[in-house]
Amino acid sequence: MTQDLRYSALKKTPFHSRTSLASRTNKYYNWNGYTVPTEYSTTELEYTAARNGTSVMDLTPMGKYEITGDHAHQFVDYLVTRDLSKMKDNTVAYIIWCNEDGKVIDDGTIFKFSSTKFMLCCAVKIYNWLNDSAYGFDVTITDVTDTIAALAIQGPTSCSTLKKFGATDLEALKPFEMREYKIDGFDILISRTGFTGDLGYELWTDPKNAETTWDNIEIAGKELKLRPFGMYALEMTRIEAGFIQTNTDFMAAEDSLRPTRMRSPYEIGMGWLVHLNKNSYFVGKKALKKEKEENTTERCLVGLDIDGDKPAHGSVIYNSKKEDIGIVTAALWSPIMKKNIALASLKRPYGIKIKENIFAEIYHPEELEYRKIWARCKVVKRQFFNPERRNKVPADLYE
Amino acid sequence: MSGNSSFDAIIIGGGHNGLVCANVLARKNKRVLICEARKECGGMVNNDITNYVPPVTSAVSSSIGGMQINYIPKTTIALSETGQHVRLVGNQHIDHKSISTFSSHDADRFNDFHEKMSKFSKTLGSFMMASPPRIMNNSFSDYFKLFKLGLNVRLLGKKNFNDFARMIGLNIADELEDNFENTLLQGLIAHDSVIGSNLGPRSPGSLINLLYRMAIHNNSLFGGIFQIEGGNDQFTKHLIEKCKSNNVEIKTSASVKNCIIENDCAVGVELNNGEKMYAKKIISNADPRSTYFSLLGSQNLDTDVKRKIKHHRSKGRVAKLILELDKLPSFNNCDDNDLDSRMVIAPSIDYIEETFNPSKFDKLSLEPTLEICIKKDSDQNPKLDIQVQYAPYKTHQGWENIKESYVESIIRIISKYAPNINECIERKKLLTPDDIESEYKVSGGHWHHGEIQIDQLFMMRPIPGASQYKTHLDGLFMCGAGTHPGGGLTGISGKNAAKAVLDDF
Repeated sequence: MTQDLRYSALKKTPFHSRTSLASRTNKYYNWNGYTVPTEYSTTELEYTAARNGTSVMDLTPMGKYEITGDHAHQFVDYLVTRDLSKMKDNTVAYIIWCNEDGKVIDDGTIFKFSSTKFMLCCAVKIYNWLNDSAYGFDVTITDVTDTIAALAIQGPTSCSTLKKFGATDLEALKPFEMREYKIDGFDILISRTGFTGDLGYELWTDPKNAETTWDNIEIAGKELKLRPFGMYALEMTRIEAGFIQTNTDFMAAEDSLRPTRMRSPYEIGMGWLVHLNKNSYFVGKKALKKEKEENTTERCLVGLDIDGDKPAHGSVIYNSKKEDIGIVTAALWSPIMKKNIALASLKRPYGIKIKENIFAEIYHPEELEYRKIWARCKVVKRQFFNPERRNKVPADLYE
Repeated sequence: MSGNSSFDAIIIGGGHNGLVCANVLARKNKRVLICEARKECGGMVNNDITNYVPPVTSAVSSSIGGMQINYIPKTTIALSETGQHVRLVGNQHIDHKSISTFSSHDADRFNDFHEKMSKFSKTLGSFMMASPPRIMNNSFSDYFKLFKLGLNVRLLGKKNFNDFARMIGLNIADELEDNFENTLLQGLIAHDSVIGSNLGPRSPGSLINLLYRMAIHNNSLFGGIFQIEGGNDQFTKHLIEKCKSNNVEIKTSASVKNCIIENDCAVGVELNNGEKMYAKKIISNADPRSTYFSLLGSQNLDTDVKRKIKHHRSKGRVAKLILELDKLPSFNNCDDNDLDSRMVIAPSIDYIEETFNPSKFDKLSLEPTLEICIKKDSDQNPKLDIQVQYAPYKTHQGWENIKESYVESIIRIISKYAPNINECIERKKLLTPDDIESEYKVSGGHWHHGEIQIDQLFMMRPIPGASQYKTHLDGLFMCGAGTHPGGGLTGISGKNAAKAVLDDF
């Protein structure tokens, strides 16, 4: 029998036997060379599970890099714009990193095990960047993408699910903390992190343990509205949470062909992650300092509350004089907020000083014809959805 | 800022560019300190490493208040195994005459060739003496400089312009074979095109190397080659005296460990013995790699800058063999005048290329090309100072294991031209690029602190973004041969760097 190369070209994750079983639609996409589901049944159903029960997502394709060595802490602090010099063991931090022009390459999370061992997770592959940056530091960078299986367990009942699964006292874990467990004879790392803007966890374990873990979590979540969810539903939740996505909301500096498309952290709402007063140097510091001092930031990334109920996918944004002032990077009719929301990249001062009299031109497809809608927008906080339960300690528990 | 800046500028390294830079600054009433790691200043400009020097330009000389140094012009002689040597004294008309004795064809072509090359080297030279423009700045004067180069090239005339465009990336071998029939003459010019570089005569770009060399040697092929009266270290001595009269403080045996950085700005230096000194500006005479990775420190560099410095090509390919003699050997068919000349053993283009080939794989060629200079040591005993081209920076077997046999192979080559050489030798000393690196603290042991090739010249020297004597760290400058226009004992880098520093005060 000849092998079908269309499938063998992509790798299967350690959860593939389970995710493919759960898939009713056979919809997959290529994420970092792995095939993973975009949708298991219907996106709306999966979204609802994420906001009302527990959703499970296969995160294995995420770029995962172990950084070890005597200079590991120093190196990580040098790599990213955020001041991590006081980062504690067993915590996680949200980070971005820039190139020498102070343009953002990617965002991700960094896990600190000890001052000599870290793990960096991000959406794309950055081994070369890490390796080149590490020149002169006593560190070893290891790509552990293939050797760590990862699951996102997100939603209001996620803590209860994981407790039933065997993670004792998990409710005491604070946001951005992590803890190592031994469950069914396997080491499992659980961190209170996620991409849905809700209560949620991420679970990291040996690929050999992947299938058992998936099965046991499914059993544990049976009464807690557990459902696997795919990329489409994740996209909905992350827009509601106001999280940015590389190469969607901004072009990664290392990927963009046109220099004018690169964005500084200040242009994508990540200025809060840049600590120019950090004692040591970090990649891009000089350029970012200059940008701040000379006030040359050109754009901003904002949240928009748009009139009507038609999502403004890819819409151009105008001022009252009908001048083009920006573009929508992600849009959604938010079921939980009952609002028409979007993330948009605008030319300053729009979005910063001028927040009113902004319009989106929406082309709404209706059976092979477009309805053109001129919708008024309001600039709002990008974090549209931010429930109290997200950061509550101890976390909410359900029976 | 902690500590007080007792100096206006600290120069790390007392090579000739550092000394020139110090003098220019001191003459503008700046308090300057030079920290030299070795026991004495001068770097690679000394009687051991340097054989021949180009003349210092009047601009450099006047910037430090004039130099009282006598340059002695030297003839070049390409040795032939048959004794049919080619002698060239530099003035193209005289060269023409000497060439006509062995090829009237070549003699006819030589004038045209020399005139054309000279014109091109002048065009490049006008650009070489000033600081390179910085395109990113968007400043008028920078664009004007670039425009001027473009204009100069265009003003060469249509025919020359086309020729210039054709030749800029060309290899020297093709050009020579097109013009000359005598292999010895071809070999000699090819030798001068590639000496000190990592290129063979057939490597693309080897021609621009020759133009570069001509630009600093009076725009002449063989006319700008000198020795300094009393030895090449007179150059250094003179600069040190100037320093003294200009109140420049010189600290020798003061090896700098790193720059002291405060608020992302260089404010001082820390010596290996822990001593700290502060100044308003820090200037590094060290090579780019050492400047960035040791003085500045890789933890203070952007990733892209690290990549560029890592890729900066600075592996030396020239070894120095010094043979101390009890008497002069007799060179076949050479008179006293010839023995006072620059003697080159590079009999043909193919000979050089074959020498070059193994060096690409870090292997030795047992038939290297040689530039021989007969000097006298302090006891008036003769010695041969030999530049050995294409000695790899590192070898697979390790230099210490093969040094001796390598020296023997060089002597074997010389014995073809001077059969009694073996009887005359008292002592032998070989300085490999590796030795030069550790002795003079130059990464790769490269003469010019980095290859002179089109991608490492002008606005790209040493790397884009650091081409105007500024490093990526505020307050830290570079003045060494790694910067534009590069090596060759001209002092231009030192002078231009001083100007950049003064502009920054």
